[in-house]
Amino acid sequence: MKYVLKFALVAMLAFYAPVLYAQEDTTTAEDEEDYSIYDDLDFADDGTQSFANAKISGLSPARFISLGYDYQAGYDLTAANVGEGIAPETATINSTSGIRVGANIPVVSRNDLLIQVGGQYWNLNYNYNDASTLNHPLHKTLANNGLRTWGLNSTIYKPLNETHFILVQLGADMNGDYAVPEFQSMRYNRYSIAALYGKRPSDYKQWALGISRTYRAGELNYVPIFYYNYTSPVSKWGIEALLPARGHVRYSFNKRSILMAGFELEGNSYRLGNQSTFLSEPLDDVELRRSEIRARMMYQRQLVGFVWFAAELGYRINYSYNVDDIPEGKDFTRLFGIVSDAPYVMENTIGNPVYFNISLNLVSP
Amino acid sequence: MNRAILVALLVAVSTITYSFLGSDDAKADRLKGIWQPSHGKAKIKIDKIGSKYYGKIVWLKEPIDPETKAPKVDKNNPDESLRSTPLKGYRILKDFEYTDEDEWSNGTIYDPENGSTYSCVIKMTDENTLDIRGYIGIKTLGRTDVWKRLEMPSKKKSE
Repeated sequence: MKYVLKFALVAMLAFYAPVLYAQEDTTTAEDEEDYSIYDDLDFADDGTQSFANAKISGLSPARFISLGYDYQAGYDLTAANVGEGIAPETATINSTSGIRVGANIPVVSRNDLLIQVGGQYWNLNYNYNDASTLNHPLHKTLANNGLRTWGLNSTIYKPLNETHFILVQLGADMNGDYAVPEFQSMRYNRYSIAALYGKRPSDYKQWALGISRTYRAGELNYVPIFYYNYTSPVSKWGIEALLPARGHVRYSFNKRSILMAGFELEGNSYRLGNQSTFLSEPLDDVELRRSEIRARMMYQRQLVGFVWFAAELGYRINYSYNVDDIPEGKDFTRLFGIVSDAPYVMENTIGNPVYFNISLNLVSP
Repeated sequence: MNRAILVALLVAVSTITYSFLGSDDAKADRLKGIWQPSHGKAKIKIDKIGSKYYGKIVWLKEPIDPETKAPKVDKNNPDESLRSTPLKGYRILKDFEYTDEDEWSNGTIYDPENGSTYSCVIKMTDENTLDIRGYIGIKTLGRTDVWKRLEMPSKKKSE
């Protein structure tokens, strides 16, 4: 019986030996091997297809979550007359500032389809030199209420094959001088869309052509767009552009420190008169067509892990600060005067200050 | 007699336990092999070391750094002492354990393009396809890449 017991123990050890041995762990690199055997391999699935990647090498990091602060230095704003009832008025704004919060989360992430959904909140507070003396309704609402934007957006990237892709961007924004949580009617929401067809000929270049319905020039427009990203394979330079919305030259000191120089066209259409009567009927549905070109230098740097700091300094150049009458929020386009020459309710004049923006960003893998 | 029963029980328990472990091992070992990420710039060989799974770069589409004209090294690694380590042979998947049906987790993935290491979970959607999700803290804040299994041409022909 003693031998049987011994046999049982030996048998158990024999059974468990490979398992026990397998507990050994190492993370050190193995000895060099002949890697040439991996040169010619086939996909195990015959039908496997490769698709163009959404990114190219060396792009500035995409942001999952961003928390920023924007500050414009002082400038003068001349609010135009409205008929004969409201006289023009020039006032000095000491500063314009506000927070900018954004999030952009991938909800579908496959080789053959990428869908990101995001949201943002922007706030603009106008700090007037002497708010108590203001008479013009534009100055009053800007001083008392400021402007804000709540928005939702989505980006859909659909590669068609190894080199070609379709890119679609959708946006819905609620812009106005409203208070939170009262907001304003959804019928004043402003919708934008861009659709592009493009090519990614290499890991260092991608480009696309398309058309967009956009409010970046303040009022509704339809414009052709050109998407172009490039990274030099032999130097630290690159280009990131979606013209005419933005264009930057990029210089990467290293993968954790990037300097960019260029511009962004930034704008939207803001409903006025949410918190108090702005203009009396029939001009009680008006929107501020705000658009500005930001010529800027932007420095981004990794702080720790996936947290990056970004700072930009530039010159804010006014493109539009006019006011339009839009009864019941039913928008229209002038298409740069081609389809309409409808007059503005106000054609305001605004100065061009320096500005800076700082943000903390959680960047995407 | 009691001893005989004890012995029989020991052997039976050993056999049953081992057969379960073996079955789990076989399932877990399906991760082993050579895989290609969606960008097609590399091939990754996943092996088992000890009880965990590791993946190293065994092929690069562009093995030579166009800037230095030398074989690519891990130049973006935050640890300066590792920046001269060759990328070919570099272990970018580490410490994966078979934790759930068709799922390997508790591991990390390293991106040599930016020198960042992410938490990572691997899901096998079919025998030849992996969903590799790198994430930051929570899985929602991540990105999934689909890897496809590669095999030797001779193996395919012989099938």
